Amino acid sequence: MASAEQTKQGFMLSKKHKAGLLNFLSAQGILVFFLICMFAFSLFSEQFLSQSNIMTVVRQASIIGIIAVGVTVVIIGGNLDLSVGSMLSFSTVLVVDLHDKIGPVGAILVMFALTLMLGAVNGFLVGFMRLNSLIVTLAMLSAIQGLVLIYSGGQNVDIANQSETWFSVFGQGYLLGIAVPVIIFALLAIIVQVVMSFTGYGRRIFAIGGNPVAAVYSGIRKNWCVFSTYLISAFCVACAALVLGSRVMGSQNNVGQGYELLVLAGIILGGTSLLGGAGSIWKTVIGVLILGFIQNGLLLLGYPYYTQWLVTWVIIILAVWLDLANKRKHLLTRHS
Amino acid sequence: MFYKTALATSVMMLSAGLAHAEETYRIGITQNNVGVDSYQTTYESAFENAAAQNENVDVVVLDAGGDVARQIGQVRNLIQQQVDAIIIWPTNGQAVIPAIRQAHQAGIPVVVTNSKIADAGMEYIAAFSGPDNVQQGASSAEMMCDALDGEGQIVQIAGQPGYTTAMERSGGFEERLAEACPGVEILETQPADWNREKAQRVMENFLTKYDNIDGVYSGDDNMGVGALNAAKSAGRAGDIAFIGATNFAVGYEAIERGEYYGSIYQSPVDDAEAALQTALDVLEGKEVPKMNFFETPKITADNISEFDKPVF
Repeated sequence: MASAEQTKQGFMLSKKHKAGLLNFLSAQGILVFFLICMFAFSLFSEQFLSQSNIMTVVRQASIIGIIAVGVTVVIIGGNLDLSVGSMLSFSTVLVVDLHDKIGPVGAILVMFALTLMLGAVNGFLVGFMRLNSLIVTLAMLSAIQGLVLIYSGGQNVDIANQSETWFSVFGQGYLLGIAVPVIIFALLAIIVQVVMSFTGYGRRIFAIGGNPVAAVYSGIRKNWCVFSTYLISAFCVACAALVLGSRVMGSQNNVGQGYELLVLAGIILGGTSLLGGAGSIWKTVIGVLILGFIQNGLLLLGYPYYTQWLVTWVIIILAVWLDLANKRKHLLTRHS
Repeated sequence: MFYKTALATSVMMLSAGLAHAEETYRIGITQNNVGVDSYQTTYESAFENAAAQNENVDVVVLDAGGDVARQIGQVRNLIQQQVDAIIIWPTNGQAVIPAIRQAHQAGIPVVVTNSKIADAGMEYIAAFSGPDNVQQGASSAEMMCDALDGEGQIVQIAGQPGYTTAMERSGGFEERLAEACPGVEILETQPADWNREKAQRVMENFLTKYDNIDGVYSGDDNMGVGALNAAKSAGRAGDIAFIGATNFAVGYEAIERGEYYGSIYQSPVDDAEAALQTALDVLEGKEVPKMNFFETPKITADNISEFDKPVF
């Protein structure tokens, strides 16, 4: 498939040079753009490509990355999950607050259980009640934020005296020189990628996202599959909350606010279609890293905050446009 | 309309005249966004406590949830209810001015609490009650100067962009530092939205970018502790003096441990009580300064024992 496309492009390149070059660039779209950005940043900032900076960016990106792994599965299944931001606030506040009350082990277990329950509510409403996932998870976004405020009474929570417990390993620890958040991110990404590519379960999720009617006729239990994608998403949020809470050793009520958009941005940058049925975890990992490097690069170059915002989101729009332009071109060539 | 205003004004004057006759005042308050941070949550309960202790006061407590439109609606609602005074914690110092003007025209005195409104609205309010954020920034600059003996390179982590408190603290800090301590250079300023995790990320990037950082000034302790965490992970916390503002419990503990140089003590309880007292003074016809600041002292390891640990 890919090689056929490349031959076609090669053919066009020799035929019409100008259009061919554009075609080539748009086919590589995001990756080319990423390389240009990396190159530009490295020209202006010596530290940008230093090992310590790269490690820092990957570590910083891992919280968004961990969540994005789960949300990618939901999106491949043809749905959306916008509730992950406030779910992250909920889970982080919960695990930090319970840490001092019932100890780290209990706190982690309770936090995972309750986060999965929130995921189950999403999954039940979208999978079994067949409600629109955008509306359900948008409503859950606010509902869960309310839950956080009720639980915490509006107060920040902190691990007493920022004490050095083993709980800090999830956010601050290192294993063989690699930061633990990065290891958790990588493990989750690899496991979920393998499940999606090589198991019947993964194929069923792709089938449902691609064509739900056909999937049901071919005997797939759609309700359960959709339900399960929200459990995966919630599980990833719980892992991210563990990393975040342990990294900060405390939590604010609104700590996850806006994460849902960054997660979506990373996924879209990676080229996963919001329409479902296509995409990969691997691409999401790349997308999240691109986002991280762009933000880090702009910061290292000393751009003011507003410029960082503007440039980040302009780059995202540009990337999506490149991606779409590329797909449209393929549609056209196929029809002509 | 004129009739209504005249009536409201005369009722107001009457109630002021009868102040000694154990009049019960109804005071409405609309807050910015309770629950978003611990400060505002503590403020609200402190306000309710203070009102409960005063038998002559009946309060209507509202929260705008950070929404300017909702806050304007709440002010209108309080005007309709003909409360005796309105206390407002502005969600936006510019957008709430028309609503404040309406209250003023209806003869209801308005007290602005905690965060200032734009100059255009000052003529419509009875008083402002809150911390002097410019002074706080200046005090932090003085502490930074002491900590570094007047020489060094520092970075600044500011609060939410566009938020008055953040701008005033930064402004006060930069101005006083330039004046009192020309040997200290601010390498760079980045905002972290009052968010500890964001501050931690910003500081990690600063540590990559600058090999030599002698001090960090943060717009509040929550962000300051984030910066401290980042420096600790990088093994550079010992070389850096951390100065904050709005002392949080975690900041207080860090000062006790000697990891954090100093901060500004700002109690939401003082803030709430000052707002209520200012409103009562206005209603009783007492002379009230237009800018009614409460004390926000410096807090360092030397005097920390004089202060209670913040509850937030």
